[in-house]
Amino acid sequence: MSGSSLIDELPGELLMWVLIISELLVFGAGLIAFMGVRLTDPTGFAEAQSHLHRTGAALNTAVLVTSGYLAAMALHWRQTERGKAARFSLIGAALLGVVFLIIKGIEYADKAAQGISFETHPFFLFYYLLTGFHAAHVLAGVGVLLLVAWHDHPRNIEAGAQFWHMVDLVWIMLFPVIYLLG
Amino acid sequence: MSALSSCSKYGRRRLLNPLTRTWVALLALTVASALLIPLPIPRSALAAAILLLALIKSRLILARYLDLAHSPAWLRGFSFGLICFAVVLFGLYLI
Repeated sequence: MSGSSLIDELPGELLMWVLIISELLVFGAGLIAFMGVRLTDPTGFAEAQSHLHRTGAALNTAVLVTSGYLAAMALHWRQTERGKAARFSLIGAALLGVVFLIIKGIEYADKAAQGISFETHPFFLFYYLLTGFHAAHVLAGVGVLLLVAWHDHPRNIEAGAQFWHMVDLVWIMLFPVIYLLG
Repeated sequence: MSALSSCSKYGRRRLLNPLTRTWVALLALTVASALLIPLPIPRSALAAAILLLALIKSRLILARYLDLAHSPAWLRGFSFGLICFAVVLFGLYLI
């Protein structure tokens, strides 16, 4: 009788994967609801979407992807006994997370200056809910990255990096749906 | 000579690091998504291309950053789920 199961094949902690799958399902349901409500007013959704800054969002994608790379490299470096490089890499990943939030803040401030709120159109209700909930995860992720840079056991770094990659993965699916599919 | 050769070999190995290759690929796919938007192609083809690029990026993150490349069954499962999700989004977009 074999002692290994499919669950054992998952890298890292099982609980982290439960969290990753739960978050993907929550954001996935939100994006499907967004596309469902879009059916009631496709022209209005396209017009509302034209107020978004695609360039800023694409830049934020590059920022998050680069941050994810640094988090992945941190684990690689920690596993190869290069603890200092790992710590710097995690701090760099966290700083890029802050850059993401600053760009997002500028985007929100621009919407506010245009008099756009979540009540302006259903598009913006979903926009603020989904991107705001994601930004809350980025904020939490920055804290997690800094925490594992401090307590830098490889298992901690692996869990922190996995959380950060989940945040990255959510944005990769959120960006095209909210910003590009007009 | 041997030091140079060793240095060049080390540099090449670093460049070929799968994590670095993944990062470069993700950046290239992000730029490709942005460049697609102004192209004069039918909106359904544009939506399909944008979702396809997002799927490729997601799979790269799952396989390389989340290390599911070493757990092929899980990678297939996640990929299947994401493909179903993208098909639903595309279907809703076309209606």
